[in-house]
Amino acid sequence: MIGWRGLVAFGLLAALPLAPFMTKYYLLLTFDALLFGAIAMSLDLLMGYTGLVSFGHAAFYGLGAYATAIVLERGVLSLWACLGFALVVVGLYALIVSYFATGRRGIYFALLTLIFAEVVYTFFRYTQTFGGSDGIQGLPEAMLVPGVPIDTPLRKYYLVLGYLAFAYIVCRTVVHSHFGKVLVAIRENEDRARFLGYNVQRYKMAVCLVSALLTGLGGAIYPIRAAYATPDLMLWTESGEFIISVMIGGLGTLVGPIIGGAFFTILRDKVSSYVDWYFIVIGVVLVVIVLFMPRGLFRPWRATT
Amino acid sequence: MDYVVAVLLPQLLHGLVFGAALGLLALGLTVIFGLLGVMNFAHGELYMLGAYAGITVIGVVHSFWVALIVAPLLVGALAVVTEVATLRPVYHREPLYGLILTFGLALIFREGARQIWGGDMRRILPPVTGSTPILGMTYPNYRLFLLAISSVLLLAIWLFFTKTRAGILVRAAVQDAEMLDGLGVNVPRVFTLTFAGSAALAALAGLLLAPIFTVYPQMGVEMILLAFIVVILGGMGSISGSVVAAFVIGIAQSLLTLWLNPQRVAIAIFGIMIVVLIMRPRGFFGREGVLE
Repeated sequence: MIGWRGLVAFGLLAALPLAPFMTKYYLLLTFDALLFGAIAMSLDLLMGYTGLVSFGHAAFYGLGAYATAIVLERGVLSLWACLGFALVVVGLYALIVSYFATGRRGIYFALLTLIFAEVVYTFFRYTQTFGGSDGIQGLPEAMLVPGVPIDTPLRKYYLVLGYLAFAYIVCRTVVHSHFGKVLVAIRENEDRARFLGYNVQRYKMAVCLVSALLTGLGGAIYPIRAAYATPDLMLWTESGEFIISVMIGGLGTLVGPIIGGAFFTILRDKVSSYVDWYFIVIGVVLVVIVLFMPRGLFRPWRATT
Repeated sequence: MDYVVAVLLPQLLHGLVFGAALGLLALGLTVIFGLLGVMNFAHGELYMLGAYAGITVIGVVHSFWVALIVAPLLVGALAVVTEVATLRPVYHREPLYGLILTFGLALIFREGARQIWGGDMRRILPPVTGSTPILGMTYPNYRLFLLAISSVLLLAIWLFFTKTRAGILVRAAVQDAEMLDGLGVNVPRVFTLTFAGSAALAALAGLLLAPIFTVYPQMGVEMILLAFIVVILGGMGSISGSVVAAFVIGIAQSLLTLWLNPQRVAIAIFGIMIVVLIMRPRGFFGREGVLE
């Protein structure tokens, strides 16, 4: 399902912690980079393959993070309980959003997902039960199985690598299935797909759900690394950063957005440690990409159409 | 009766004032969307830059009234440069690119403002002070002035679009830019000037609201979300729709604050939008299939 190039890439990533320069700091930076990449890849299912721009993916991400935080805070330390709860919460929310948003095309989809995400953000930002603007802090370590806590940076790194592999297999399967072909047909000509008898809205809702659940899982992993969940994870600029990552990597390539997300995370980390106006750098990068490299900075594989 | 005069009436007027200013902001957004097919994510930043440009101009000439003329011109000039350099090449592409491009511009403008003017809250003193007794209560003069000038501007914009040749050209370009080009009109110039006009309106709204609100680099972000809701409610690209929706949202917002705390108000506004979209999926005045 992954292909030999994928296997080599995952093999190299799995061996990466053996490299002498991989200090604790770089392990955690790689964690963030891969997490961001995996989420950008999930978003690519919508943006690249179906032609829908979601400006609300931060809500799926943040809800996943809060789900984990709530479970851990209650003293339930099982990783699987966290992930399961996140899937339920994010799934229910995604059903509601996608029902409203997929009824409309183009810009409307982007704006409706944005506004729904803003409702979720506002709710968590001001609800004291969930810590208000501070979020939920100081979480205990989750357990992979009882007695095996995910406590060292190395274990956390392999957790995110496992998530990336899972998300990649899901996305590949979707893209290469009949379902994926219908999504591309919808992107190319929605009316024609409808005339062929496909229930376009149902297909759009389904792909939204897949993308949202994968993003929610990514969010659910984040508090295990950071020990907190804050409303800032749901800010719409976060959604914008996911979109930027997809654009940097190249729409409709799956692998591109992984690289784009990783590149963006490392760029942000490095630039922000030198200057405090790194948003200008990011903005300029975005403008330059749209104007001169609309197919993305990296095109490791040609767009799967 | 006392409750009505002392509480309800001022709040209703607050809503009208806010709605009128919001209308100025949303109008530019909806015209740009109708004309260029670009949902301008940087519109809130132009609103914010209007307030900051106003602060700078006031610092130089010590006159709010001069700033009211000069600041929108400055922001309009910035918009001309931005439109020609960045937006023009993406018109013929999918709407996605315009969305992402303006998101990048918004980041640049916001951070640029923070670097130039600093991140802390600033205030502009109202140029008109005192208050006037009307309808059995006293109401601040500046807010009355704001209501008056916003209404005059909205009326002027309506006259511009219906009575003047330039306005009719803009509407013609919304309908069919290619045909207009074929008729010998310089369509790129129509686009540039319209974009500059909408930016100047946003800047004007930013400066007019500055004496009531505070000025800070993030101020555009909050307003732009409300403006998006207004544009969706009014029906994308509909000029009259967005004015009506702006007053609905402005009044709803200020009346709801009487009974709910601010965050609940925000959620209630989202709720209103969702209910309207269920009942009228294309907003108040949206038409089937326009620009989707």
